[in-house]
Amino acid sequence: MRHSYKYIKLGIALTLLVSAAGCKKLEPEVYSRVANENFWQTPDQIAAGIAPAYSQLRNIPDGNFHDLQEESSDELVVPARGNDWLAAGQHIQLFTHTWNSQTQQVQDAWNDLYSGVTKINFILSIVNNLNPAPATLPAINAELKTLRALYYYWLMDLYGNVPLVTDFNTNPNGVKNSTRKQVYDFIESEIKANMGQLSTDRSLTNYGRINKYVADCILAKLYLNSVQYVGTARYADCIKVCDTVITAGYSLESNYFDNFAIENQSSKENIFVVPFDNVNIGGNNWAAQTLHYQNDKNYQISGGGWNGYCTNAEFYSHFDTTSTYSVRGKNTYRTYNDARAGQWIIGQQYAEIATYPPNTGVLSNSTDATLKIKDAQTGLDLSFYSDITEISNPAASFRLAGLRNVKYWPNPGIQVSQNNDMVIFRLADVLLMRAEASVRNGSQSNVDLGYVNQIRMRAYGGVQKYAWTMSDLTLNNLFLERGRELAWENVRRQDCIRFGNFASARKPQKMQDADNHWEIYPIPQNQHIANPNLTQNPGYAGF
Amino acid sequence: MNNEKFLKTACLLFAFVLQSAMAFSQNLTISGTVTDERGVSLPGVTVAPVGGTGGVATKPDGKYTITVAASVKALRFSFLGFAPKEVPLTGGKTLNVTLISSSTTLNDVVVVGYGSVRKKDLTGAVANVTAKDFNPGVISNPLQQIQGKVPGLSITQPGGDPNANLIVRLRGQTSLSGGQTPLIVVDGIPLDNPNQISNIPASDIESYDVLKDVSATAIYGSRGANGVIIINTKKGAAGRTRVEYNGYAAIDKLRGDYNLLSADEWRSAVQQIPNIDQQTISALDKGANTDWLKAITRTAFTNSNNLGVSGGTETFNYRASLNYMNQQGIVINTNKEQLGLRFSAEQKALNNKLNIQTTLSYSQNKRKLADYNIFEYVNTTPPTFPVTNPDGSYYGYFDYHEQNPVAQQMLQTNTSNDYLTQLYAKVDYKLLSFLTLGTTGSISHLNTQTGFFQPVLPGVGNKNNASQGNANVDSKKGDVHLNFLKDFNKHHLSGTLVYEFNDFVNSNFNASGQEYLVEDLGDNNLGAGNSAKNVISSYKEEFIIESYLARAQYNYNSTYYLTASFRRDGSNKFGANNRWGSFPSVSAAWRIKNESFLKNVTWLDDLKINAGYGVVGNQDAINPYNTLLLLGSGGRFYTPGNPTNQYPDSYTPIQNANADLQWERRIGRNIGFNFSMFNSRFTGNINAFNDKTKDLLFNYTVPVPPYVYNSILANVGDLKNKGLEIQLSGDVIKGKDFSWSPSGQITFTKTTITSLSGSYNGTDISTDMVPIGVAQGRGYQNNYLTYLKVGQSPYVFYLPKFAGVASAISPTSNSNQLYYDAAGNTTPDISKAKYDYIDPTPKFTYGISNTFNYKQLSLNFFLRGVYGQKLFNNYDNIVSNYSRLPGNNVTHNALTNGIRGSQTTSDYWLQNASYLKLDNVTLAYNFRQIKGLDNLRVYVTGSNLLTFTPYKGIDPEVVNGDSAQSYIDANMYGYGYYPKSRTFILGASVAFK
Repeated sequence: MRHSYKYIKLGIALTLLVSAAGCKKLEPEVYSRVANENFWQTPDQIAAGIAPAYSQLRNIPDGNFHDLQEESSDELVVPARGNDWLAAGQHIQLFTHTWNSQTQQVQDAWNDLYSGVTKINFILSIVNNLNPAPATLPAINAELKTLRALYYYWLMDLYGNVPLVTDFNTNPNGVKNSTRKQVYDFIESEIKANMGQLSTDRSLTNYGRINKYVADCILAKLYLNSVQYVGTARYADCIKVCDTVITAGYSLESNYFDNFAIENQSSKENIFVVPFDNVNIGGNNWAAQTLHYQNDKNYQISGGGWNGYCTNAEFYSHFDTTSTYSVRGKNTYRTYNDARAGQWIIGQQYAEIATYPPNTGVLSNSTDATLKIKDAQTGLDLSFYSDITEISNPAASFRLAGLRNVKYWPNPGIQVSQNNDMVIFRLADVLLMRAEASVRNGSQSNVDLGYVNQIRMRAYGGVQKYAWTMSDLTLNNLFLERGRELAWENVRRQDCIRFGNFASARKPQKMQDADNHWEIYPIPQNQHIANPNLTQNPGYAGF
Repeated sequence: MNNEKFLKTACLLFAFVLQSAMAFSQNLTISGTVTDERGVSLPGVTVAPVGGTGGVATKPDGKYTITVAASVKALRFSFLGFAPKEVPLTGGKTLNVTLISSSTTLNDVVVVGYGSVRKKDLTGAVANVTAKDFNPGVISNPLQQIQGKVPGLSITQPGGDPNANLIVRLRGQTSLSGGQTPLIVVDGIPLDNPNQISNIPASDIESYDVLKDVSATAIYGSRGANGVIIINTKKGAAGRTRVEYNGYAAIDKLRGDYNLLSADEWRSAVQQIPNIDQQTISALDKGANTDWLKAITRTAFTNSNNLGVSGGTETFNYRASLNYMNQQGIVINTNKEQLGLRFSAEQKALNNKLNIQTTLSYSQNKRKLADYNIFEYVNTTPPTFPVTNPDGSYYGYFDYHEQNPVAQQMLQTNTSNDYLTQLYAKVDYKLLSFLTLGTTGSISHLNTQTGFFQPVLPGVGNKNNASQGNANVDSKKGDVHLNFLKDFNKHHLSGTLVYEFNDFVNSNFNASGQEYLVEDLGDNNLGAGNSAKNVISSYKEEFIIESYLARAQYNYNSTYYLTASFRRDGSNKFGANNRWGSFPSVSAAWRIKNESFLKNVTWLDDLKINAGYGVVGNQDAINPYNTLLLLGSGGRFYTPGNPTNQYPDSYTPIQNANADLQWERRIGRNIGFNFSMFNSRFTGNINAFNDKTKDLLFNYTVPVPPYVYNSILANVGDLKNKGLEIQLSGDVIKGKDFSWSPSGQITFTKTTITSLSGSYNGTDISTDMVPIGVAQGRGYQNNYLTYLKVGQSPYVFYLPKFAGVASAISPTSNSNQLYYDAAGNTTPDISKAKYDYIDPTPKFTYGISNTFNYKQLSLNFFLRGVYGQKLFNNYDNIVSNYSRLPGNNVTHNALTNGIRGSQTTSDYWLQNASYLKLDNVTLAYNFRQIKGLDNLRVYVTGSNLLTFTPYKGIDPEVVNGDSAQSYIDANMYGYGYYPKSRTFILGASVAFK
């Protein structure tokens, strides 16, 4: 009996032990994130799920993409001021065309752009399998596929032979380079296939979204640079799509700078922008990147700038800097004849709040010595000079080398992030593309001249003597005009390549390129590590 | 009533209430003296009849008299810190007894996880450190008590910050992800995060048991991969109520210096700059002479007070303690104030069949944190700048990483207060004489409240801003266990079966704002700023581990031992098909001393060999939900058409989900020898291990496209750890008045990555060389220094070979530094340089302790060291650069090293960082037989007194393995460089009667 009692006790113990188990399932419970299958339920949720397709654009106008498109050209240089902006030599590499597959921006711009592609691939794989399908599914597909084509356009433009992946569930082991021609063809056919479903809404409700005219702009760029991309001239096609945009209802803003203003969403000229916001959407660091630490005293950016991006004398010489001057008290103020010259700040900086727009009432001289801003770290007068002769120099005075750009006028009191929405495509660019395509096509007419003069008259406040005649409508003049009009707007690398200036020697310290392999960037080293199938572009050290 | 009398009365009352009535028949009276090993009489020892009730305590001279029933066969002598002893009654009226302090006895109980064994019966590698061997000093983290004491356990203090965590590694780098701090188990309950150890007052700790080899840690299964440190807190014991006080006051002084130029040295150095403009110099020379490191530091004071009350009867015992410590940091406006309460009790009932244990503990830490940016400002700001203006306000200035560090640290509010509450209860019932069923439950709640306010700083032009955060780490743990224990003649068999459930919830809430009109309100009115700038966020996550485990231990005649365990863990951090993992272990030991051929070797007291094999898993390194396709914030987006919310949040995948994620497994083998000879005057143990970690969890690079992100957490790759650990201690001189006991340990560990390639979900992952650590500082961007490389230690350096400096700066490299190319020629072009792999890991680490006793005086000093370590002196690389002048300060080294132009990375900056530290010296005096006191010990301690090292940086003990920046001493850029201090302490411990 004693024994059986023992066994009963033992049995109770084991039962307790076993029954204690399995109290709770091991399925994880999610609190602050949402499982994909529980999302996409309402139109607002679908809108919020689609939005990240656009969010990669925030890295475009002022990020790694900007560095690749501008620093390799003749209009933007980031010299190393001692160790400041040395950043492992990457900016020097970009300006002097000595980059390699490990240069930071070469690696990071790839990620910025392909993240846009792969996020769209993901979203397409979801929205096309929703049940019930969203009522607007055809429009969603067209919009997203066109945006993806835009990312691919930039990838093809920068890297040439990039892998073409359009399905989220692609086997990674099978991803290989496509040729530049294959990607080019894909972009064209994709845009054409989706054009019919795209919205023609140009209003604020569709602001910052792909519409039909954005698609036309992509095609216009594709066709204008077609010789460089695939060796085939397509200027007539370019003119055709430019005309579609030109007649869509966009018009030039009367003030050049209003396209880039703190609140620029009402611009009638901007076709496609990336919205930014000081609080909600960071990424427009324009003023901080270019202005000096002590520029807080006249441009009011809280905490000062980073003293980086600038332009040099050669590019600045293309601008008409003639001005009219007015004296008020001890101060002299200048107003530029060509408003666009006002985007550059040059010379001594004074401790008086600068006013918008930057082309008029610029304090250019003062006999009040107390107004002179000094560089706090070196004690030198804060005076920007344009003739940058070295790409790297630790000298105190070199902190003041280069002219700074205030095209995107900073909000007073901001710490870095600006409100100004940044331009991807605007009408002025389309007008100039139309004129250039016509010249290259040999079909230039008064229509083209009129388009260019619209731009020039806007810049010169309508003063007719600055208008061009037919004989001024040359490729070289157009190259310079594009420089003045579109400075730092991410078109200059393409322009330099198209106008044959890309390989040229230029100050500071860029030698003539030995060959043209620099016209596309190398496939990044880290992408090759992740995907050994990728092969390197011609001219670069193989993997 | 004076204090002493009051305390005495209070204690007596306390004891009276707690002790049960003592009733026994008066049949036999026995008396005697109780002494320790050295013959010193022990007061306060509990003397109680075995199997009877009641008991007495020895008097100040160690004497006792007890009257027991005639049926009593033996007396039991017990005293905290000594092994209890049962002595049979043989009829004599006098019984003198010697107790052996527990740290030297093999009968001491060692906690091995879900149970305990006698030290002599261990079959795995377990190190035990008790209070008498703890490092003294200002202990801001309890683990500092055993730093350098345990072979295989590396504890690094990256800086002098009282609010920073230690870096703890057991048996080397075992993984590539996450913190690799061992699991810390306090009184049977694992801490939710090993860093919570800093919330536990050090003075409550009785001993540490460090489970080192995998056969020992396998019982912790999925949580044992990094090893296990078991902490046992002080407990009450049957006997007289004991009141103890431990306290000290300490003074900390800055130790070490950056070696920056003084103002006058700066003034003469800048005149040597070629083509220097006098306007620049005069603009920078504000006429001050400031030592900025001195300006941000101070002499700091600390006081620590611990009061413990313990006592009990045969059926009930308890201990309660109260701790208060206020530790100033040597950096101005930094502080840690700790208040802790702990109560533990044990009740036996129903004829000792029922045993209930409970512990309640609460601790709060109020911290004032350092803003680590100030350490960089110390190095950038010229020494000619003043700290304050003539009117007393702070002098303001601003440039790239340059502003007034004193203003920043003094004007900002930067607090972090944490509150840890832990409740624990265990109920055991003896079902049968050999079988116990029990259950354990515990709750842990850590609440951390942070506050920050930054006013408009002079000269900076920033917006004022404030934030508050509130984070909770909660866990619920429970188990049901069944213990079996039976002896069959010389066969001893014990076993344990456990079901366990752990639920962890982490959550936080943060809010911040900007542009406050009234700065005096600090962070106390967050909503009062610019409403457009208000930001709120919150997060919550949960994960669960469910486990079944079994262990059986067998020994024959304490000679042949076999232990086997098996654990099965389910964790919902892993993919549905990979949640459950099995973790077996087996170990065996042989006490050779018991064999007939050694029986007569009288000088050998004990010789035991043990060997073990086991498997553990790692899941602590990763966060939950990595297996799921989850959508989280993709940032705000602009919807001008929305009338109420123009910037709604977008939703996007937060990661490349890996549905196949599974355990990282560590497979370990260990062999060890333990010996004791010459009447235990010479003891030691030697352990060798060979561990492999498989299926390494790591964020592996994957291609974009097709992936959304360029890395995925996956199980690819292997590494191995080999090591040898030797620990020896001896009583070299053991006289009546004088004794000398040296002890030491040495550890050799070698970690090698054996693979970083494999496949995940059919996708090849091949990342044989992963860049990890980067050079820090202005001018650098992703300049990689260290790598994960197959065939090398983790964080191996890959650096160009330095060949000296050229007379002029090369226009292409912008530097005058030269390198050797593959052909042995020098070149200024770093891309042509020859690169070498250089292993920075220490060859061995060691600790040496010496204790001298002369009568009542004792002297202890402890040395610890690391040999063969190399550090990249990133600080020197940046600051010892002449080209920083005149705008930034430089070290003296910059004037002599000849380097001009931009800094670059090379093996020149990789410096030998072996070191030997005189960690602490303590001189103590033990007063004896003071009226009213059981014990009084007064001591002075000096900590962190001397460092012997060829290393040129400020301190060779830097981060080594916790972060990607291992072995890179960037000690002004945020990786553990809060200046260290030298500490002097005056302390006392006293036990009242």
